[in-house]
Amino acid sequence: MSIHRRSLLKATLAGCATATLVGCSLLPRKTGSQPERYSGAVGLPNGGFGVSAFDRAGATLWQAPVDTRCHSGCNRPGQDEILFFERRPGWSFYVFDAATGQRRHRILAQNGEHFVGHGVFSPDGRWLYTTASRYEQGQGIVAVYDAQRGYQRTQTFELGGIGPHEITLHPDGNTLVVGLGGILTHPDYDRIKLNLDTMAPALILMDRHSGSITGRLAPAHHHQSTRHVSTSANGQIYAAYQYQGPRHETPALLARLENGQLREYRFDPLTQSALGNYIASVVAHPENDLVAAASPVGGTAILFQGSTGALITRLSLPDCAGIQSLAGGDFLVSSGQGKLVRLSAHYPAREVAHLPVHWDHHLV
Amino acid sequence: MHLFTRLCGLIALVAASVSTHAGTPEQAVLEQFHQSIKVGYNTLTTETSTLLRAASAYCEEPTTNHRKALNKGWLDAFLAWQAVRFVNFGPVENNNLAWQFQFWPDPKNLIARKAKTILKAEAPVTSNLIEQSGVAVQGFPMIEFLLFDEQQSIGQDALPAPRSCELLIKVAEHVNHNTEALASQWSDFRPHYLANALYQETTLKAGMTALEILEERRLAQPMGLRGNGRRNPYIADAWRSGNSLKAAKAGVAGLQNHFLPGLTTLLDARGESSLASRIRAQFNKVADNFPAADAPMQTLLGDDDRFRALQGLYVDVSQLATLVNDEAAVALGVIRGFNSSDGD
Repeated sequence: MSIHRRSLLKATLAGCATATLVGCSLLPRKTGSQPERYSGAVGLPNGGFGVSAFDRAGATLWQAPVDTRCHSGCNRPGQDEILFFERRPGWSFYVFDAATGQRRHRILAQNGEHFVGHGVFSPDGRWLYTTASRYEQGQGIVAVYDAQRGYQRTQTFELGGIGPHEITLHPDGNTLVVGLGGILTHPDYDRIKLNLDTMAPALILMDRHSGSITGRLAPAHHHQSTRHVSTSANGQIYAAYQYQGPRHETPALLARLENGQLREYRFDPLTQSALGNYIASVVAHPENDLVAAASPVGGTAILFQGSTGALITRLSLPDCAGIQSLAGGDFLVSSGQGKLVRLSAHYPAREVAHLPVHWDHHLV
Repeated sequence: MHLFTRLCGLIALVAASVSTHAGTPEQAVLEQFHQSIKVGYNTLTTETSTLLRAASAYCEEPTTNHRKALNKGWLDAFLAWQAVRFVNFGPVENNNLAWQFQFWPDPKNLIARKAKTILKAEAPVTSNLIEQSGVAVQGFPMIEFLLFDEQQSIGQDALPAPRSCELLIKVAEHVNHNTEALASQWSDFRPHYLANALYQETTLKAGMTALEILEERRLAQPMGLRGNGRRNPYIADAWRSGNSLKAAKAGVAGLQNHFLPGLTTLLDARGESSLASRIRAQFNKVADNFPAADAPMQTLLGDDDRFRALQGLYVDVSQLATLVNDEAAVALGVIRGFNSSDGD
C-alpha cells in the first residue's frame, strides 16, 4: 500500500474533478487494436484503486473499482475484453468488458503463487500468458490460461530464474519475451529485496507453445534488474533496467538485442542522471524506429532512435511512467499526477490532458 | 540529433543538475546533513556496543542489575536507531540494513515464529545462522522479543536460558557489526553524497516519508483511524516492550536534530523564513505532547482519557506533516509521486 496516497491525492487532485483537455479537441489515436480507447490502472481521489478507461475526447468511459492496486494489463485480441493484473504480490487479475468496464472474471492466483502485474495474449486471443512467482521456492514462471474456457489454468512454464516482470509477444507470434528482474521477494517480507548480492537478471525468450527457453541474455551487471521489455513491429527487442546499485552510479538502463547480445544504450551524463537508475516503461513504436522510456524516479521521459540509441528528446515530467504509442508515430506519456503528454520526434512535447487520477505504471 | 535542440514548448525541458554547487546554500546543506547523520550513526554504534556488552554481562551473570542494564541497553540502542531511521538512502540500503535493524511491520508475527524455530532447534546459534535467518531475526525486534515478550518470559526458554542467551548475544553482535559497517560506509559515502546534488531532494524526501510513516502507520493505524476503525496496539512498532510512543518521540527528535536544520536552511535561502519558523515551532509542539503521551500504546488505546493525549499527539504530528510534506515540499519544489515513491 502506498502510504503517500492520501496526502498525494490531497495535494494534487483537489479541485480537479473532471478531465481537462489542453489546447486540442481530441486526443490522438493509439496504435493497436483499441485505437479510440485508453486505459490504465489508477489511484482514485477517494484513496482507493481502480481501472479507468477514457475516450479521445478525454471523457471517462468507465471506471471500475478494484480491491488492491493494479499495475498493467492487456487487451484480448478479437474480443472486447481487457485484463488488469494486481501489482506484485498480485493475488488476482481482473477481466473487464472493455466497452462498459463491467467485471466478467476475477481470477485468483494458485496456491503458493502470485502474479507480478503483466500478461499478454496469443494472437488469436485464446491463450493468456502471465508472469508469476512461486514465492516459497523463488521460481519465476509463465502461467498459461485458456480465455475461451473462462480463464482456466492450463500450463505452467518455468523460467529458470527469479522475479519475472513484463511479458510481451514477439511479432513472430511464437516467442514470448520476458523481463526477468532477478530480485527475490516474498509476501511475508513486504517488498524487501532478499537477494541483491546474488540476483541474476536476464532477458528471456520462450516458445509459447512448448515453454522451452530459446534465449537467455544477461545484462552486463547483475544489479541491472531487467524488468520491462518491448518489441518493435519488425522484431527488434528492447529491455529496460532498474539498477539496484548506488544512486551515484549511472550504468546503462536500456538495451537492444542484437546478434545474440544485449547492446547497451548509454546517454549523456545529464540524461543518465535524470533517469534515476529506474525505467518504468519502455515502448518501441510499431510504425517507426523510435523508442520511448519513462522514469518516475527521475521525473524524466526520453525518446531515442532504436537502431542507433541516439537520444532525440528528453522531457521533464514529474512521476511519469506509462507510455502508449500513437498512430502517426508519436507517443503518449502518462504521469502519476494525471497528466498525458504527447512526445514527438518532430515537435515540442505537449500536454494534451490532465485527468483526475493517478496513472499507474502502464497505459494499455 | 538536431531535433533535440529544437525542443522547446509547453513542457519545459529541464536539465537535471548533477553537478555540485560549491559554496552555495545547497552545498552547505548537504555538508550539514552528512555531518549530522554521521553523528547519529556514531551514536548508534556506541549504543549497540553498550547493548552487546550488557547482553554478555547478563548472560554471564544474570543478576537483577545486569538485567536492568540490558533492558536499558536495548532501549537506548533502539532509540538511537529511531533517531536516524528516517535515512532511507545511501549505505543503509546495502544488504537491507534498515530492514535488518528493524523488521516492521510484522503482520504474520514472523519474529516470534522465527525465534521459536531457532530456540527449538539443536544446531548451535552461530553468526552464520543469524546471517542466514533473514531480517526478522537480525535486529532490535528479535532482542525485544527475548527481553519483553510476555509468553516468552514465562516459558522454558526464557532468559537467561542458555539457548536464548546465545541467540541474544549473536543478534546483538550482528546489530553491532551492522552499525559499525553503516557508520564506516557513511563516511566513505561522503564524496558521492556531496558531489551529487540529487541527494538533496533524496534527503528531503526521506524526512518527509518518515513523517508520513509516523502519522499514518505508527499512529493513525494503531489508533483505528484507518481501515476497519478498530484500535490495535499490536500493529505499532515496539509493542512488546511498550515503547511505541518512546520510539515515536525519538524519531521526531532525530528529525529535529538531523533533518530540520538543513530543511530550514533551504527554506531560508528561498525566502521562506516564516514557513521555516512555523515548522520549528510545530516540531516543538509535537515534543510538548510528551511525557503525557509517553506510555505503552496499549495503555493509551485502552483508556479514553489517555487516548486524548494520543489524539493530541496525532493532531500535532499531522499538522507537522502538512507543513513539511505539503507546504515546504511545494516551496522547495519537491515532488513525491504516486509511481516514483512506490513503483514496480
